[in-house]
Amino acid sequence: MILTRQALTLLLATSTLTLAAGSEEKPLPKDLPPYGVDRPIPPLNIAQRTLPNGLTVWIVHRPGFPKIASYLAIRGGNAYDPADRQGLTGLMAGLLNEGTTTRTSKQIAEELQAIGGELNAFASPDAVFIHGSCLSNGLPALVNLLADVARHPSFPDKEVELAKANTLQGLLAQEAQPAFKANRAFNAAIFGSHPYRFASLSPEVVKGATPASLKAIHAARFQPNQAVLVISGDLQEAATLKLVTAAFGDWKATGEALPTIRETPATSAHQFLLIPRPGSVQSTLRVGRPAVAATHPDYIPMQLANVILGGSFGSRIVKNIREDKGYTYSPGARATGMQVGGNYMVRADVRTEVTAASLMEIFYEMDRMGTTTVGEVELQSAKRYMGGTYLFQNQMLGALTGTLATYWVNGQKPEALSEFIPKVNAVKAEEVRRIGRTYFAAKDQTVVVVGDEAKAKAELEQFGPVQILKN
Amino acid sequence: MRLGLLTIFTLGAALVAGPAAPAKRPSWRLPIEVKTLPNGLTIVVSEDHSLPTVGVSVVYRVGMRLEPKGRTGFAHLFEHMMFQGTPVAPKGVFDRVIQGGGGLNNGSTRYDFTNYIESAPVSALEPILWLEADRLKALDFSPQNLKNQQEVVKEEIRVNVKNQPYGTFWLDLPGAAYSRWENNHDGYGSFEDLDHADLKDVQAFHSTYYTPSNAVLGIAGDVKPTEVFALVEKYFASIPGKPKPALPDLKEPLNTTEIRQVKTDALARVPAVAVGWKMPARGSRDHAPAAVLAELLIGGDASRIYLGLVKGKELLLNASGGLNFPLGGAWDYDGQTLFSLFSLYKPNADADKVLAAIDEVIAAIASQGVTSAELERTKTKMLADFYAGLEIPLSRADALAKAQALWGSAAQLNEIPGLIEGVTADDLKRVAATYLTHPNRTVIDYHTATAKP
Repeated sequence: MILTRQALTLLLATSTLTLAAGSEEKPLPKDLPPYGVDRPIPPLNIAQRTLPNGLTVWIVHRPGFPKIASYLAIRGGNAYDPADRQGLTGLMAGLLNEGTTTRTSKQIAEELQAIGGELNAFASPDAVFIHGSCLSNGLPALVNLLADVARHPSFPDKEVELAKANTLQGLLAQEAQPAFKANRAFNAAIFGSHPYRFASLSPEVVKGATPASLKAIHAARFQPNQAVLVISGDLQEAATLKLVTAAFGDWKATGEALPTIRETPATSAHQFLLIPRPGSVQSTLRVGRPAVAATHPDYIPMQLANVILGGSFGSRIVKNIREDKGYTYSPGARATGMQVGGNYMVRADVRTEVTAASLMEIFYEMDRMGTTTVGEVELQSAKRYMGGTYLFQNQMLGALTGTLATYWVNGQKPEALSEFIPKVNAVKAEEVRRIGRTYFAAKDQTVVVVGDEAKAKAELEQFGPVQILKN
Repeated sequence: MRLGLLTIFTLGAALVAGPAAPAKRPSWRLPIEVKTLPNGLTIVVSEDHSLPTVGVSVVYRVGMRLEPKGRTGFAHLFEHMMFQGTPVAPKGVFDRVIQGGGGLNNGSTRYDFTNYIESAPVSALEPILWLEADRLKALDFSPQNLKNQQEVVKEEIRVNVKNQPYGTFWLDLPGAAYSRWENNHDGYGSFEDLDHADLKDVQAFHSTYYTPSNAVLGIAGDVKPTEVFALVEKYFASIPGKPKPALPDLKEPLNTTEIRQVKTDALARVPAVAVGWKMPARGSRDHAPAAVLAELLIGGDASRIYLGLVKGKELLLNASGGLNFPLGGAWDYDGQTLFSLFSLYKPNADADKVLAAIDEVIAAIASQGVTSAELERTKTKMLADFYAGLEIPLSRADALAKAQALWGSAAQLNEIPGLIEGVTADDLKRVAATYLTHPNRTVIDYHTATAKP
């Protein structure tokens, strides 16, 4: 057998950051020692192979810690469901480990427990992910269980009924969460009729689900040539590939090709939407718009701009509305890139009486990203932070494995792992400003608020007309 | 930037795959080196050179239980003040230096300790140690910083408690189950007490509890112990030693009468039940059996409560719980803790039905024990989770510092797999019969505002 193996390198920074303060910052303590020299990061070995049936297999050998992580990703997530049944893929994913043609859900749970393992599945808009872990000597059992739940789920009547009943109750429980209501309304407002609007199953879709409808989705989507299997940890490449070939080699592609998802809308309306929540003591704020796909050239510069604006503890929004004003505990911001589009979102939960004041500051900070150029120290610091957190995240087996599977779903190669930080480091201050101008201008943002109807409405009306939504 | 080398090679004879079920659990230990400075600061180091990163955790042996009366929530408010700058490094410097070094930082307050953590490329270790030493020396005790963090903490309580359904179950259970103020008060704090906190309180707390002898510094990752000891000495040795503050014994006997409360939650849409039992002291003979029993009862999809009540009787929507849940794990508490569970229950259920079903599960273990297959599987899963909790340098530094602070021995962390191994079916019977009793049980039934009476 022939494997293509790559040694991928994660680099931190092209130049060492000095601790010198920029013109925009106060001087640092004179006794503070400088950063040391960055040490090289050992290359990561990734063996790649495509089985004759089309299944892509990536194996990462990382010894020294006695655990294994695995991700099987299959293209076609919730965004590929018919509009009147959106979310059925997620429901199907949740039932994969609830019974196969040869195992009951209890048997699956106990076999996993016996290897110190876990195996769970969920659907993103773009794909279904089945992720697992176990002690390193449980790898053969994990691969077999993974193959069984992926290839031979039986969707037993009783399990489907229970999952439907629990999902319906779970939806009812989630209606009490302000973040759940805010995210659902935000997605709908920025994506319109695009399938990325999906945030949660509706009770009607749950009630209409049957074992047959779940089986049909599974049969249509789960194809070896539409899937990647990533396995990482303290393993032997050759033995692992042999296990994978034995468990997945005779998996046949039988389904139809996936439909193409159209591009997301480029913009959304600048509007103020309020979802009343009786008894709310805070306003749950969402400010944002559609943005770019994970492979768009603006995606990495936007991630960097986000670290500066709201995506880190030292970011401008956190410093402003938390550390200076004390309006909120956990403000944040995130750029999400998916296969055909993405979004940008600033979030904060603030006490009701500072709803307008908080939005003013968020708008100010968003506009400032496009109207002024970020200083060199703040820019370098953000780059270091991105490099460090990327390294931090990918030192965890499960996260590394998931990152690689997501890269594959987005059409990227494992090299994306080693290209990420150099691309971040290459971003210039002017480019950050262009990102600010293009995506962060306050006048282009959709605002969603969940909170006390009367008080929050009065706060929001200071900006313009407010539309009240039911949910 | 350097892209990966592309090589093609042929594999030799394929290796034989292992058996379907592992015959033996893999054993794995952390290297541990400990040193105590003359001023009382203990340093624990664990080296691992697989990636050039480092994790740092400073654990102070003070938590919610030791905060002053009339100052509920103060230990946590104080934790926030630790990020508000010092006379030498004003507000903002701490985050700027750590973030600029590619690092992350955080802090958390628990019943018996408060920890401050950083993870970064190892090139940032020296400035991080300097910053930790600096805030152990003195804080910027300014009224503006205190006022700002009083507001931030109140927002934290709003977002996590007041604006959430069942936001208070983890405060309600100890509040009802324990009788001593130190154990049963609201550690997040009343807004009134938080507002009354003043700078004198902040200064006194720092002076009493934030001392070298009351701290453990854990460092793990791409470091050599001798180099770390030298660096820590450089920045911490000049901090004057003070006597270690007294640690009162706050343990309570098991309860002798069941405590049961009903709360109506205006925000909740689905009813829920929280149940807690007082459990054995950390390090006692019953501790490890209690940990294994908790795992066996509610540790996941193969646990008895999941299989019996979520599946089986279909009374619960979900089942979450554990020893020292939800503020910690089975090994990082001191004194005593609760075995707690929290579940949403379904329209066909009520608290009595749920409790009766849980009683059945417990009675079966207390009377018949468990099979060796179930016990072995449970131990394997616990071991896997224990290792998972030590995967990255940050978790190692934190677990080691906590073990040193709470158990008095960082090396104890490597003994935990052995403690799990040693638990027998008879231990489980005994612990189930001793602790998981009606008189020792506290139940809080959360009704929705519109629920049946």
